[in-house]
Amino acid sequence: MNESRMEAGKTVPVRFGSFPHTWCGQSARAMLSHRTVFIPLVLLGLIACCAVCAPLIAPDDPGAIDLKHVVSLPSSKHLLGTDYLGRDVLSRLVYGARTSLFIALATIVISCVAGIVIGCVAGYQGGMIDLVLSRGIDIFIAFPGIIFALVLLGFMGPGVFNLILALSLTQWAGYARLIRGEVLSAKNENYVLSARTVGLSDRIITFRHILPNVVAPVLILATIDIGHVILSTATLSFFGLGVPADVPEWGSMINTGKTFMRTAPLLTVIPGLVITAVVVLFNVLGEGLRDVLDPHDGMEAFD
Amino acid sequence: MSLLEVSGLNVTFPTQEGNVRASSDVSFSLDEGEVLGLIGESGSGKSVIGLSILRLLPAYAEVSGRILFRGIDLAVIPEKDLARIRGREIALLPQNPVLSLNPLMQNGRQLAEVYEQTGDDRVVARKKTLDLLQAFSFHDPAGVYTLYPHQLSGGMRQRLTAGIALSYHPSLLIADEPTRGLDRDVREKTIDLFRKIEDEFGTAILLITHDLDLAERLCSRIVVMYAGEIVEIGPAGEVFEDPAHPYTQGLLRARPRNGLVPLPGMSPGLSALPPGCRFAGRCGRADVSCTTTHPTVSGCGPGRCARCRHLF
Amino acid sequence: MPPPLLNVVGLRKDYGHTPVFDDVDLTIDAGETVGLSGKSGSGKSTLGRCILRLEEPTAGEVYYNGADLLKMGKKDLNLVRPDLQMIFQHPETSFNPRMAVGFGIAEPLSYRTGTRPEEVLNGLADLLRRVGLRRDQLDRFPHQLSGGELQRAMLARVFSLQPKLVIADEPTSMLDVSVQAQVLGLMKTLQEETGVSYLLISHDLEVLGAVCDRVAYMRNGTVEKADAG
Repeated sequence: MNESRMEAGKTVPVRFGSFPHTWCGQSARAMLSHRTVFIPLVLLGLIACCAVCAPLIAPDDPGAIDLKHVVSLPSSKHLLGTDYLGRDVLSRLVYGARTSLFIALATIVISCVAGIVIGCVAGYQGGMIDLVLSRGIDIFIAFPGIIFALVLLGFMGPGVFNLILALSLTQWAGYARLIRGEVLSAKNENYVLSARTVGLSDRIITFRHILPNVVAPVLILATIDIGHVILSTATLSFFGLGVPADVPEWGSMINTGKTFMRTAPLLTVIPGLVITAVVVLFNVLGEGLRDVLDPHDGMEAFD
Repeated sequence: MSLLEVSGLNVTFPTQEGNVRASSDVSFSLDEGEVLGLIGESGSGKSVIGLSILRLLPAYAEVSGRILFRGIDLAVIPEKDLARIRGREIALLPQNPVLSLNPLMQNGRQLAEVYEQTGDDRVVARKKTLDLLQAFSFHDPAGVYTLYPHQLSGGMRQRLTAGIALSYHPSLLIADEPTRGLDRDVREKTIDLFRKIEDEFGTAILLITHDLDLAERLCSRIVVMYAGEIVEIGPAGEVFEDPAHPYTQGLLRARPRNGLVPLPGMSPGLSALPPGCRFAGRCGRADVSCTTTHPTVSGCGPGRCARCRHLF
Repeated sequence: MPPPLLNVVGLRKDYGHTPVFDDVDLTIDAGETVGLSGKSGSGKSTLGRCILRLEEPTAGEVYYNGADLLKMGKKDLNLVRPDLQMIFQHPETSFNPRMAVGFGIAEPLSYRTGTRPEEVLNGLADLLRRVGLRRDQLDRFPHQLSGGELQRAMLARVFSLQPKLVIADEPTSMLDVSVQAQVLGLMKTLQEETGVSYLLISHDLEVLGAVCDRVAYMRNGTVEKADAG
């Protein structure tokens, strides 16, 4: 076909600006315009603010023991009542957000990064490397998570950082396995084959072409796992292997409150509701992200 | 009365970049047992027509016009009544047989399930399924019944999906691009399959395709679409032998056997349609008035009509 | 007679213990269009990928300009990679769905020369005009363009590297007749201008007959013959 035909009244490209090439398929602004992303982000942001500004918000010292008013019902002095040592429940909730959210987020970030890197290498390199890494992943998945963490903490001793480390070690393999599978199938996508034929480096192929297209399920899994991690922290604290008993933390609040389930159910119900709310918010965020991360914005060509 | 009569069908998708007019004032009819080919390139709005007949378009699509099926306007009847027509009276043959079969279910079960849905017990459903498999030229119906979809060849899978679509003996089958991406052997088998459906079931077929050979071999009448509107209607033989509209002529010249001569230029975007003839920008016969006046469809022979000012 | 551009000798590929094809011989001269036909599942796509080492063949030799591609290390292979390019059947999956098509076109050259993609595209203005892509189309994401537009964009990406051989695996089987003619016509023009060779893999004998110098058939796990087309 000759040139004049192809031109057919079309403008000739002259200069180019920079291109939209994004990890999420949409700009940050478009992401925030999604209600299912915006609303949980704002609410989670509020909770995070509470955690950061805890000393300003909390009406009382979370560690102040008042043995005269143990397990009291909500009153004007203690809006959500007091626990078995007479400590103000609301203050412990607000301060607890610091510990619980920090542990959960740190664990998830560490295990995601580790899982993504290991899963990517295994899936993309294949061969012996994959074989070795995959067996490693299998071993970590085979251990029942909480028992594994218990054993690890038994060796390392309690403490926030050890707790994060132990929980990350139980979590990363799930992400690694998920990512490896996604990478394996993405490897055969035409755009990856094309990237190989034009001779791009493995690093560019992995990080520019494969990872952005496979990372969405991991982010969604991560938002769901945050809830699990908060609950695991609670269990470990119960065994005395998590955070020390005097440090306010949502999970341990439930655990200590359990004893008073019949007489003062609020001691369990209130932190339970807070954890549930956070988990639900993260899940909604995960759902929203799944929609937003899909590069297809519903504006397909109409056939 | 025609089996299906579409008149003045307009489909618009409001988008951020303006209104996409996927179909503009489309009118055609289809008789009982007729095989009608709806041809055009992607983006010509031909698939939208099939979907709007079954009201399967996304909810934000703005649809106007009448779609009379045996005198009932499918565009306005309640969803409940439409559900009864969909699948039983009008069936859709999916484009990709692999994706529309459940890989974990025996072939026969997928068919029998359809019958069981309507209250047949397992034994009756099995009997009906075996009969249907037989009718679709499976030599060993009982054997095929217990196999899984991945154990069938491409052609067999296509026959199976057709079997599921035709399990209620619908009077109209809408087939959307049944041959896209298929190799020659499977394509030949698809053609046999459609002949069989036409002959033995007497089903009217609305064949939506860009595969000109398929349309030429199967259809009795052809509707040619361009940029969301009908540009030519006529008996298949005549349209392929002596196309009236310059677009149809160009389309036929682009076939490999006619020398692969491409049409110059591009189709206008459906969100920015020109005021005059939509084909004017690519047409060798276009003059000034073509770019200003939008032509209407006019008769150009017995049973034929086209949308071009130069024909009259 | 000059040696062929590409010479495939006794190529074999197994999946597990099942051979996909065996003992495949094929030559492609400079500037030639060779067709490769065969049923689906005959291994013709796998053959194309094995030649480019997108899959590793089990045995055989693939000589390009006298050097065996299969014996090359990663470094040497990356040096000849730009010469040997591929176009795929499904244009909608040939570009990274998260990147603008213009970036996809500019990426290979941008990577090799270290120039910014925008600069690369300015340098490719002539090629972009040739394939008929408008500026606004380059800013779009792959799912916003039609199959024909994407396939032309793919030609721009591939030809920016000035390849010597392009393996086109069913490049038009998902496209409309008119668009097919456009894409094949464009490939022809580019061949006349650059002297590139094509290995055109297709099940459509009519298309192969119309554009190929020779057609080879793949049957019973090997390439049978290469006739004058």
